[in-house]
Amino acid sequence: MSKAYSVEDDVIVINRDLNELDLFVKDFLDVLSKHCDYLVVSGYVSICTGRARGTEDIDVLFPLLSEPYFSKLFNDLKVNSFWCYQGDQIKDIFPYIRDGLNIRFAKINRVLPNIELIPVIEVKKAQYFELKHPQRIRIKDFEFKIPPVEFEILYKEIRLASPKDFEDASHLRKMFSDILSEDKFKKYKSIIEENEKVV
Amino acid sequence: MKKWSNFDYIDFYVQKMNEDPVNYFEQHKEFINAQIKGSNSLFSNMFKDGDFKIQAREYLRNRGILK
Repeated sequence: MSKAYSVEDDVIVINRDLNELDLFVKDFLDVLSKHCDYLVVSGYVSICTGRARGTEDIDVLFPLLSEPYFSKLFNDLKVNSFWCYQGDQIKDIFPYIRDGLNIRFAKINRVLPNIELIPVIEVKKAQYFELKHPQRIRIKDFEFKIPPVEFEILYKEIRLASPKDFEDASHLRKMFSDILSEDKFKKYKSIIEENEKVV
Repeated sequence: MKKWSNFDYIDFYVQKMNEDPVNYFEQHKEFINAQIKGSNSLFSNMFKDGDFKIQAREYLRNRGILK
């Protein structure tokens, strides 16, 4: 009998078909990854690994880009049928990014689901660390980057800490109980707690 | 009989996923797809007259999602 997941060459492989939410995220990442690094974080990490809950937004970290590079990304997203909640012109959107604020994208003529695009700079130590230390995950032919599972669990338990986040963390702890590393928990806990002092 | 908490359901679903992942993930896919279909239908009907983006942004401002 097949297992829910396996690990192949350090890639977590979820043994299921793609759903509409996966296809939406894949469409977005196909564009984003041509322009910069990225990391899918938070609720979708739990949902794509089998958590039985809905979501409205997919949180995606990306490194802060200068205006010319961000402009190319923004135009490419528009060409690929995404619209931005905050505006249609780069002059209206870039100030959000420059100020470290999140922006959201959905498919044309749709509101949900949406991608919440989160700019990361080096002083956001925990987010910067996870962006630079990704875990690869694959569902069928869709391979993408998430945080190390231990990091995602701790970030939800320590930093986000809403009831929904504790539930997501509980799902990940149960789901991946046979591969979680205590050493990694210790290492990542100190990084997240250090970040808490800064924030 | 003890009332189940959300954490009890999480334990239950992970157990079911490990016992029969094929069946579990089929239901998971139906659940996710139904949510997306439902929200598409809702907003298509809500903003069917006029410019979709203008109406959507107005809605998002009213909900406090867009400043």
